[in-house]
Amino acid sequence: MRFGAGLWCLQSTATMPRHPATAYRELLEDARLLDRLGYDSLWLSEHHFFYDGYCPSLPTAAAAALEVTENLHVATGMLLAPMRSPEKLAAETAALHERSGGRFELGVALGYRDVEFDGKGVPRQERVQRRKDALHAVHDAAPEVPVWLGSALPEAVERAGRHAHGVLYSGANPLSLVRDLSDAHRRGYESSDGSRPRPRIAALRNVWVTEDEREREAVLDWFRASYVLYAGLGWSVPQRGETAAMDFRAELDKALDDAVGTAIIGPAEQVIEGLHEVAEAGVDDVVFRVVVEGAPQAAIHEVLHRLAEEVMPALRDVEAT
Amino acid sequence: MKIGIRTRPGHEAAEAAAAERHGAFGVLIEPEAATAAVAGAAAATRTSLTRLVVRTVLGVDHPVTLAEDLAVLDNISAGRVVALVDTGELDLEAAREDLTLLLAALTPRPVRHQGIRWQVPAGLEGHDAPQEVEVTPKPVQVELPIWLTGAVARELGAVMGDPVLAEEPPACDRHRSVQPASARLSGDRESDRELVSRWRAAGATHLMLEVDDPEAAVPEIARYLIPEVAMPLFPRIVAEAMTPRPWPGPARYVTLPSPGASG
Repeated sequence: MRFGAGLWCLQSTATMPRHPATAYRELLEDARLLDRLGYDSLWLSEHHFFYDGYCPSLPTAAAAALEVTENLHVATGMLLAPMRSPEKLAAETAALHERSGGRFELGVALGYRDVEFDGKGVPRQERVQRRKDALHAVHDAAPEVPVWLGSALPEAVERAGRHAHGVLYSGANPLSLVRDLSDAHRRGYESSDGSRPRPRIAALRNVWVTEDEREREAVLDWFRASYVLYAGLGWSVPQRGETAAMDFRAELDKALDDAVGTAIIGPAEQVIEGLHEVAEAGVDDVVFRVVVEGAPQAAIHEVLHRLAEEVMPALRDVEAT
Repeated sequence: MKIGIRTRPGHEAAEAAAAERHGAFGVLIEPEAATAAVAGAAAATRTSLTRLVVRTVLGVDHPVTLAEDLAVLDNISAGRVVALVDTGELDLEAAREDLTLLLAALTPRPVRHQGIRWQVPAGLEGHDAPQEVEVTPKPVQVELPIWLTGAVARELGAVMGDPVLAEEPPACDRHRSVQPASARLSGDRESDRELVSRWRAAGATHLMLEVDDPEAAVPEIARYLIPEVAMPLFPRIVAEAMTPRPWPGPARYVTLPSPGASG
């Protein structure tokens, strides 16, 4: 199992205000810490035109994080491919790959906010084609860069497997859905010509190591607040098959409860046990979702230390099943 | 007149760090057109004071995207970015529209632009979107400085009022508060002293110097050229006299490094 942390969104929010440049300074401090603690990856996230400065330019932020680290991979989880010209994204991806000695990984998504499509003059119905164009351009310019896709739809995940693309799941997905998606991804890969190695399956998980009941209560608040943010952005998971809908606009409390219900909060042994279950749901790599609304940098550094020292060593050799 | 250094593509971070160590006011970063912000971010992390003049080529992407790249870079560098806007392959009218939208997207006002090339917001059918957008984050600086270069830069500067990077001394406008310029050094100390003095006399305010190897050249520039144009009749004896002996150390009471010096 490999380990990453995320999602760095570089915000200054209504409930956690800070100078916008502080967010970027802390990103570099956090990246150095992850590198020193032996994490495999740091994941960034993108949105546009949001009041809190949510980072709209991931190649720029990634370049800074890569420059201050030596072994850490920096990944986008996710870069909104339709919002950038394919040629520019391809040139940036190649530059990040070369400058970092192969430590940049590109996760791309379609986007879902009308204001972002409209602000960039991109018709929503063209978003799939634009992502395809972006991936072609990236593949031509930097074929060695790992590509990750994100979806909660089995058919989309199966397609990703067929094209030998990795997948990163939302932290809000229940393990039952994670299992279904992972099966779909493996099916997709097995139907490919097999000329490329099996792409990896990564999952964001809401995880926190603590024995302190007050900290546990605070962390639950933070996870909850971090999903209120998605309500603000208008994100939702549609109902598909046996997967229940998670609609942060229409049913805020239920969706928040469902999302927070995925969290593993407790002593190291409990977290290790929970992550074994994640591996058993077909997940190769876990991305700890610890950069959440309300968590000060000191708390994030504390839990990153504890995960690296008490949890990761016990799971390094665990393989997805 | 202030002197800066032009970095070479792929070497921006180390050369910017060297420029800062030796007191150059800034570096001119001009990698491949689409990757200026990536190169600028690398240089930003290795410096804490030097200005980052980043060549931003119009036409490679939506002006709002170029503005977002610059704003993020200005936040990473805590307010040290100057955009050297290159008109690229655009004609005057197209460059004017793109620059107008770029500037609008860099201000703390909401953006609404209805032009020939761009409509922001686009008002596309089926989108539930407002009549204006707020491009975020905002640059740290009150106003992000814009310098112009490229085939139609002079005409664009006349229309928009932004300073144009001068390539020859007669192109300098000494009435402007900022008159950026660019020149190539020969490597011969006497002729280079004459060169920077000519630019100073012409009214340049910020001269970006091109050399074959910036890291190797920057100590010479810092010692002989930056002082040469820092006052009238610079007394050269203070640059040409012996270098004081360095402190042998060891350092027992070490001060903390500045944030930009680590990593």
